[in-house]
Amino acid sequence: MSEKLYNIISKVFSVPITEINDESGPETIESWDSFNGLILVDDIESNFNVKFTVSEITDVKNISDIKRHLKNHGINVDE
Amino acid sequence: MKISMVIEEKLSVYITKSKKLNPSNFQKKIKIALLSNFTLDGLNETISVKCADIQIGCNAFTGGYNQYNEEILNDKSNLYSFSPDICFLILDTRKILGDLFFSPYNLSVEKRREFIQNKVDELINLVKSFIEKSNSKLAVSNLVVPTSSPYGIIEAKTSYGLQEMVHDFNQKLSNMCKDEDSAYLYDLNGFVARFGQNNVFDYRQYFFGDVKISLNYIPFLANELLGFIKPILGLSKKCIVLDLDNTLWGGIVGEDGFNGIKLGHNDPIGRAFIEFQKYLLSLHERGIILAVNSKNNPEDAMKVIKDHPNMILREEHFACLKINWNDKVTNFYEIAQELNIGLDSMVFLDDDQVNRGFVGTSIPEVLTVELPNDPSLYVPTLTELNDFNVLKITEEDKKRGKMYLQERKRIEFKKNVPNFEEYLKQLNIKVRIKKATDFTIPRISQLTLKTNQFNLTTKRYQEEDVRKFSQDKKKIIGCAQVEDKFGDNGITNVFIIDKENEREWVIDTFLLSCRIIGRGIEHAILSQIFKDAKNEGVKKIKAYFIPSKKNKPAETFLPDFGFRKEDDYWIYDLNNAVKSSNHLMLEVE
Repeated sequence: MSEKLYNIISKVFSVPITEINDESGPETIESWDSFNGLILVDDIESNFNVKFTVSEITDVKNISDIKRHLKNHGINVDE
Repeated sequence: MKISMVIEEKLSVYITKSKKLNPSNFQKKIKIALLSNFTLDGLNETISVKCADIQIGCNAFTGGYNQYNEEILNDKSNLYSFSPDICFLILDTRKILGDLFFSPYNLSVEKRREFIQNKVDELINLVKSFIEKSNSKLAVSNLVVPTSSPYGIIEAKTSYGLQEMVHDFNQKLSNMCKDEDSAYLYDLNGFVARFGQNNVFDYRQYFFGDVKISLNYIPFLANELLGFIKPILGLSKKCIVLDLDNTLWGGIVGEDGFNGIKLGHNDPIGRAFIEFQKYLLSLHERGIILAVNSKNNPEDAMKVIKDHPNMILREEHFACLKINWNDKVTNFYEIAQELNIGLDSMVFLDDDQVNRGFVGTSIPEVLTVELPNDPSLYVPTLTELNDFNVLKITEEDKKRGKMYLQERKRIEFKKNVPNFEEYLKQLNIKVRIKKATDFTIPRISQLTLKTNQFNLTTKRYQEEDVRKFSQDKKKIIGCAQVEDKFGDNGITNVFIIDKENEREWVIDTFLLSCRIIGRGIEHAILSQIFKDAKNEGVKKIKAYFIPSKKNKPAETFLPDFGFRKEDDYWIYDLNNAVKSSNHLMLEVE
């Protein structure tokens, strides 16, 4: 499941999958600006069929935050 | 090429694809500028990808966030140094109305009127300033009309209420576009209405990044804007080629019989086909040519077309009917030849996937539309096509259907005349040479954009260019209207001559619409130009033939007329006699 998430991240930010880990975020991925952030949200939502709230989105500082919020929506990507 | 209906990729797909694009790979190129008062990131990339899909190299400039005033008012802005072919100015209602968007009723009716008038004047001045400073076209969006009001159900009872204010703004903007030739209204309000405000506007994206058109609708918006780009490049389609069984009516006439086909008001399938035919008729009335390509017994099919009480499209609406047992590709080539139009200006509508596949792969230039299985979706499929747009509807467009009918009669007449010379004489051709005026300029530009076959140089000119030429004393720019006993062909020739010096004129453009080729008209018009040249003491006429993929019909025109070749150009020495044509009448206005 985490592969599906990493694929989306890799495409949106044009970075190789191997460079993505739980700590990756706007600090480590250069193309992670606010607009690409919105595209990421949109792609994750449609691929996992969830809808995040504004506070969930603003709370995201790295990939593990995304995983945590997905878990709250009943999706465990690390399984 | 194939297209399917109203299903779109996500924005991220377009952005990924756009990274691999190289616009210089394409022969056809366009420069577009996008200006807006909100975030439209991703639109530029999406348009570029969609352009590349149809072999257009798109170079896009995106103005700074909410910087459209500065970009337009400052002569030295990046916008003008980019020098676009078309500029899109997409505006959002909230930004224009400001606090009034929420509290319009804090102002009196009078003040509200004044406010809207000021805002629309500001925008109109901006548009005019852009048109003055640039050769580009401008498409300005109208405002999306809010669907909720603090007044709720009595909004409509309120004098000059919020919705009326925005409607009034839009009306005034649209009136301006009627008067300014280079300005077009982009109906953003219509776009949002079609897809629904609750879908297009996403509050979360708005709060995060001032996104007013949600990411998933950017590709749909791009489609709409491509509707402007295609006609600028002369890529509009001219002709729809239709199958019959299960395309114009439900069922198969050869099996279900005249009375068995579904084309009536008493069942839903029959109603779908009637509606589809009505929509096709409206395109025909606007100048789109209709033709039939059907595997059928001609007698069975023609009986339906002629006699079925519920048929909307009749024989007179089709410029060409190929109803036989030949394969559809052969028929297609014959239709293109008879109508004398390029395969790349034709659209194919057929319910049968096998036929579509066969035509689509054999003639990729034809736009083969993926008709859905359900006939109730035929009309929306056709309305989603952005391939029939023109920048101006000319008189010729409205008359086109009739002109092709006349052409069919001309061909029948030709069969009954002993020889070609006699045929030409009996046609009673009248040629009227006209100057470039407000009335003819749109058509002159349209012909330079659309004419591919009989065109010596294939130079494309927008209306703005033609208008400039018409004021240039060193140029002669004109056109000719052609009439014969079967009817009026309208303006079907354009010539542009550069008066290089007192001794020599150069032919910049000489073209003839394909439907009047082969009647000696081109010789008569050129002879007339040569007579004028002689009267002014000119000694030589220089001309170029610039070969393109399609202008073979014009290849031998210069030598046939008596030009001789020198280097890469052709020369006609005016000391030689200028031929005159006696099979037609020529007038100069």
